[in-house]
Amino acid sequence: MSTALEAVPYDTTLARLRRRRPGRNRGAIVRHAVIILFMAIILLPLAWVLIMSVKSLPDAMSGAFWPTQFDFTHYGYVLHNIATLPINLFNSIYVTTSTVIITSICAVLAGYALVHLRPRGGGALVAILLMSLYFPVRVVSLIAVYQIQNFLGLINSTSGLILPYVTLNLAISVLIMRSMFQLVPRELIEAATIDGAGPWRTLWTVGLPMVRNGLVVIFIVNFVTAWGEYLLCMTLTNDQVRRTMPVVLASVEGGLGEWSWPNLAAVYVIVVAPAVIAFCFAQKLFFKGLNEGALKG
Amino acid sequence: MAETIASSEIGFSRRWPGRRPSLHLALLRQRAGAWLFLLPALVFFIGYQVYPIIRVIWISFTDYQFLSTKPAHWIWFANYAQALRDPLMWESLWRAALFTIMFLPGAIALPLLLAVLVDRVTNARLATLYRLVLLIPAAIPSTLVFVLWKWMYNFQTGPINHLLVNNLGLFTFRNAPEWLGGTPLTLPSIAIMEVWWGLGYHTIFFLAGLAAIPKDLPEAARIDGANEWQVFWHIIRPRLAPIMMILVVLRFGTAMAVIDEYLIFGGFNRQSPTYTWTMFMYDEAFREGLWRQGFAAAIGMIGAIAMMIVMLMLLRMFRPRD
Repeated sequence: MSTALEAVPYDTTLARLRRRRPGRNRGAIVRHAVIILFMAIILLPLAWVLIMSVKSLPDAMSGAFWPTQFDFTHYGYVLHNIATLPINLFNSIYVTTSTVIITSICAVLAGYALVHLRPRGGGALVAILLMSLYFPVRVVSLIAVYQIQNFLGLINSTSGLILPYVTLNLAISVLIMRSMFQLVPRELIEAATIDGAGPWRTLWTVGLPMVRNGLVVIFIVNFVTAWGEYLLCMTLTNDQVRRTMPVVLASVEGGLGEWSWPNLAAVYVIVVAPAVIAFCFAQKLFFKGLNEGALKG
Repeated sequence: MAETIASSEIGFSRRWPGRRPSLHLALLRQRAGAWLFLLPALVFFIGYQVYPIIRVIWISFTDYQFLSTKPAHWIWFANYAQALRDPLMWESLWRAALFTIMFLPGAIALPLLLAVLVDRVTNARLATLYRLVLLIPAAIPSTLVFVLWKWMYNFQTGPINHLLVNNLGLFTFRNAPEWLGGTPLTLPSIAIMEVWWGLGYHTIFFLAGLAAIPKDLPEAARIDGANEWQVFWHIIRPRLAPIMMILVVLRFGTAMAVIDEYLIFGGFNRQSPTYTWTMFMYDEAFREGLWRQGFAAAIGMIGAIAMMIVMLMLLRMFRPRD
């Protein structure tokens, strides 16, 4: 994944020579046309919903892609007039933040321990974690997870969702952190230990700064999963006020009044924007860390 | 837990009897500490993944009903026998397989084509821009992808039908296609949505593989007169095989076990093409009668085992031959 994100320079002398040949240009044009077609397919649905959120009502009903009149009031309207919206938004933020923090802590500690503290049975644990990636755990375990939550009195509890949410990506997060810690030289950890630092301080001062990039990846993966989780939220909660925003959005039918199409689209943009913005921001950090690491290496 | 730490302590002191006590103690604490570090992850992993799976296996052998006050009985394979005799079990497995067949080829071939094209973009800025756009769908949380496409496919106001009816004039609102809601078009519609969702992510996956191929290899072949197809087939394809294998197996696993999309787009009509084994399990466990979770667990296990068998076969098929 890391190398693919960098643009691979292709500017060898050979390539430059070939580019002057006739027919080569036509190939390049076709290539770019196909790529741009794909890019349009990716972006068009998102553009549609973004434009829908600033359409005036008659334009929304007519269905034309580009509106004759813009109306930017939908955002303010949905935030003020849909009573449950702030609650659902808060639920989303609360559940997602908790999930991301808890999973990251678990993954960092476990990844560090697996590589640098070498516990007995560590290899078996890694094998089980890997196996769980291939088994449809999320679906098959649903019945038992419901029973556990019922036993703990966590049915219809927003906080209760955090517990199963943490496990959704726990295995992959631990495995990512494990491979990140494998890049940290053992000598560095041992040097810190000899200097008298305990495992906690070694992890905090030596290990953690070196696995920042892996941490960013884990943040993104867990954020995206928890923010958009549907199955568990739908099954483990009953009331709309307990649910997260995307789940509520999935159950409303577009129509008139407070759930008119532009209002729905505005809610959608509000909910999807943090994810996409956070992602772009994190991606930049990711590149930065990558270059630093590459230069040092 | 305590036993593990304890036994490692004993083993330790026996093996290094002559070490300095301070260093000995430090090493010992490190061993114990390792499990302390693993504890938070283990609590969640065992509590919400390992134990639930074991419990599901266990109740699949009982007549447990969630809403019943009567105690459950151990009934051996009766649930499995009943499920396997039920034509709906086979029908629902076949529907999941059908969706996988619709989804997988597009989810592999289109990103592969796109990756080969993007890989040859020489302008560094354009190449970065393309990659950024490619990853945007991957940043959209699952439910929001479904909501977006639920609107796109909407019969009356969706832009797809608007395009077909008003702009292209291929249909009228009398006979415009009904994309969702358990119609025959529902499975292909969901497959198209899933291909769209995975397009960028899979392309990035393939680009990672392409970046590892030395650039002079395809160049040399082209100089020798190989056409683009030959370059792809003889040089690029074999080197992408491992990545393709991981992608095929993982996406086969997710496609066979889809449930959220069916809950949102399909509904619980047992005739619907979206009523797959996952929906069958959900229906029996949380909606029908007294919630026959024992029977539902058996359905889930049958589905999972059937999936695992095909996945093992795929792994064997793609195994490197050398």
